[in-house]
Amino acid sequence: MAESEVNLTKTYDAIVIGSGAAGGMAAHVLTSHGLQVLMLEAGKKLPIEKELRSMEWPYDNPYRGQLPPDSHSLSFNEYTIRNPPYGPGFEKAKHLKSYIGSTDYLKNIVVDERENPFTGTNYAWVRARCLGGKTNIWGRLALRLSDYDFKAKDRDGYGENWPISYSDIAPYYDKVDLYLGITGVKENLPYLPDSIFQRPTKLNCAEVTLKESLAKMGRVLTQYRAGVTSDGLKHNKYRSRCYGRGACERKGGCDIHAAFDSPTGLIYPAMDTGNLTLRTNSVAREITVDPKTGKASGVHFIDSQTMKDYTVHAKVVIVAASTLESARLLLLSKSHLHPNGLANSSGHVGHNFCEHIMGPGVAGRAKNLVGKPPTLDDGRPGGFYLTRFRNLAEKHPKFIRGYGFEGGSGSTMFPRGTDAHGFGAAFKEEVRKNQGAFVGMGAFGEVLARYENYVDLDPVVKDKWGIPALRFHYKFGDNEHRMAEDMKETAQEMFEAAGFEIVHVSSRVLTEGWSIHELGTARMGSDSKTSVLNEFQQSHDVKNLFVVDGSAFVNASCQNPTWTIMSLCWRSCDYLADELKKGNL
Amino acid sequence: MSTNDPTDLRQNRREWLKTSAVAIGASLLPLPVVAAESQQVETAPAPSQTKPVEAKSPARFFTPAQHALVDELSETIIPADNHSGGAKAAKVADYIDQALGESFDDADKALWREGLRLVDVMSQHYNGKSFVNSSPEGKIAVVKVLSDNDHMTDLPEVRFFIELKRLTVRGYYTSKIGIHDELEYKGNRILQEYVGCDDQGPASS
Repeated sequence: MAESEVNLTKTYDAIVIGSGAAGGMAAHVLTSHGLQVLMLEAGKKLPIEKELRSMEWPYDNPYRGQLPPDSHSLSFNEYTIRNPPYGPGFEKAKHLKSYIGSTDYLKNIVVDERENPFTGTNYAWVRARCLGGKTNIWGRLALRLSDYDFKAKDRDGYGENWPISYSDIAPYYDKVDLYLGITGVKENLPYLPDSIFQRPTKLNCAEVTLKESLAKMGRVLTQYRAGVTSDGLKHNKYRSRCYGRGACERKGGCDIHAAFDSPTGLIYPAMDTGNLTLRTNSVAREITVDPKTGKASGVHFIDSQTMKDYTVHAKVVIVAASTLESARLLLLSKSHLHPNGLANSSGHVGHNFCEHIMGPGVAGRAKNLVGKPPTLDDGRPGGFYLTRFRNLAEKHPKFIRGYGFEGGSGSTMFPRGTDAHGFGAAFKEEVRKNQGAFVGMGAFGEVLARYENYVDLDPVVKDKWGIPALRFHYKFGDNEHRMAEDMKETAQEMFEAAGFEIVHVSSRVLTEGWSIHELGTARMGSDSKTSVLNEFQQSHDVKNLFVVDGSAFVNASCQNPTWTIMSLCWRSCDYLADELKKGNL
Repeated sequence: MSTNDPTDLRQNRREWLKTSAVAIGASLLPLPVVAAESQQVETAPAPSQTKPVEAKSPARFFTPAQHALVDELSETIIPADNHSGGAKAAKVADYIDQALGESFDDADKALWREGLRLVDVMSQHYNGKSFVNSSPEGKIAVVKVLSDNDHMTDLPEVRFFIELKRLTVRGYYTSKIGIHDELEYKGNRILQEYVGCDDQGPASS
């Protein structure tokens, strides 16, 4: 394999900004079309297996797997009461991390909050600046969207339809399934289309009980559809198949890469084509514009370590920096020709910001499993997914759109139920007897895309590299709160119907941002006055500019977005390569 | 299931991966590991070995007398029984000692000092002697007062008890005794097949 150097005098075919699910996919598709691609990643390339150590026993870790004492990860209470930079009490914590960075395994993957400030309404903004971005920590649930989502406006009149239908994207979902691997079981549901699945995980006994009980209510529980290769991928030498090992509930990546991550799944294979050059530690500051044509000419970036400025040139610029960072970069790229920021003649960049609301859920015990010998329930990429059932055939009187539940059950390395009251021999026995009987689930619901939920640039606050920070104007609305009430009630009903002993019902809505599914800040559409991108994620205003991450979503649906981000990106990059060859860009 | 023979990997996962890749016949190829130094320009990485986490000499917080007291308190919360060893055998006091020794949280440290002092004050009141010198029943009596009233968080001894229990639980169930002897945890090993309700477990038998 030839070593490629970053050549700042060369005009690349394409520059990809970001190396997560979208950036990795863009690199894979464009290099396979023979394009010369430069990828810019703001963070470092980490020795990721050394970070993740998926099979390390807690007693072999100096902090038993928790954060080192010089670091602090933010709690729900801190997010609720305080604003960045979170005020007193953390002076001695050298590193301040978002809530998910609460273990020794993720401490170098998520950013230091102080280096990356933001302002405005409270938001649990999880950012991973390193090669692969948040794919290094993703929860792996890999779901398709359907026309219930793409054409949701046709069903309830709210918002906008997507400029594509399921039939447009279905072939690309298939490509992503086959190229990256996904485990699951076919269910033939119109609102949650099946993938091309590899060998599924298995449900354990409490989950089978719940599934059978739900079937009587006409609801569907299926094996966790995980973006994990359970049979292996012959075309990828960087990834192993899943060996059902433990610690998957850590959700902190997978050090044999059975779970998808962008570097091993997409970027290293793209490098093997000889067409990809990667530059890490490269913080994009602005997309430059040719003053004559108004088209994108390249990217101005700052070396995160030396603080030096560079500009690189390309025929096409592809933004894949994550929904919020991509919006920020477009807004930062102001010029004489694009005074509101690049690709923003509609004024919609940063707006229609949406995601998933989460928090409500239930925990209980399968009574017939209490006190039984320990079982092996761990080592699956996930437990179960309980599919959407609201606003499909019937209209719910209190809210539109839907939600699904992610759940799990059984024994885990660190036992559930240690919050039991008391102490002594009785406490110890209670924890032991209950450990395998646990079953729990939490909901993910659609947050409506609303113009008035948006981000813009803070006029004062800047990050470590002197780049204006993002300012949030974002709150859950009435539809979400009414939906959250219903989530709590149905969760309880379903556990009661299954005969589980209910231990805890939660109605608490977690801080905005908690789902790490932020979407919609540069939405697609056929009308250039009300959307930023066309159906190929190409800017209406600037033909050689594409935004291929979650910012292109028109609504959030209630399904986890990563598989759709990658499928859309593949479709758009096929189009891009074709248009470039035709000389249309 | 006959194909499902969990292999215990506590000894050396990497050795196992090397030797079993052929046997399993799967695409279990060398794991890409990247050099630690920050490089500007990267190509696809060459395989190399990961290094184990370097062990640091642990910091200490407790005086010998405080350590002995925490040893007894933690054992009262999670005692040895006929199933497995307790917090003492799992060296929970060492774990807490190190955690506090390395902590930057001065308020937390002050709470522990004050809490340990107040426990002995309580013990003198209920048992007429220090906690360490009390009978097993006497020790339980003192901790029961704190546990039964764990909603009274305006009192430092109650806040101390909550922290003591939290760290005892954390230390015990992350120890070898807690994971392997007490809970008989079955996971964290490589499997040929996923395990489910149709393969094993009480509800299917």
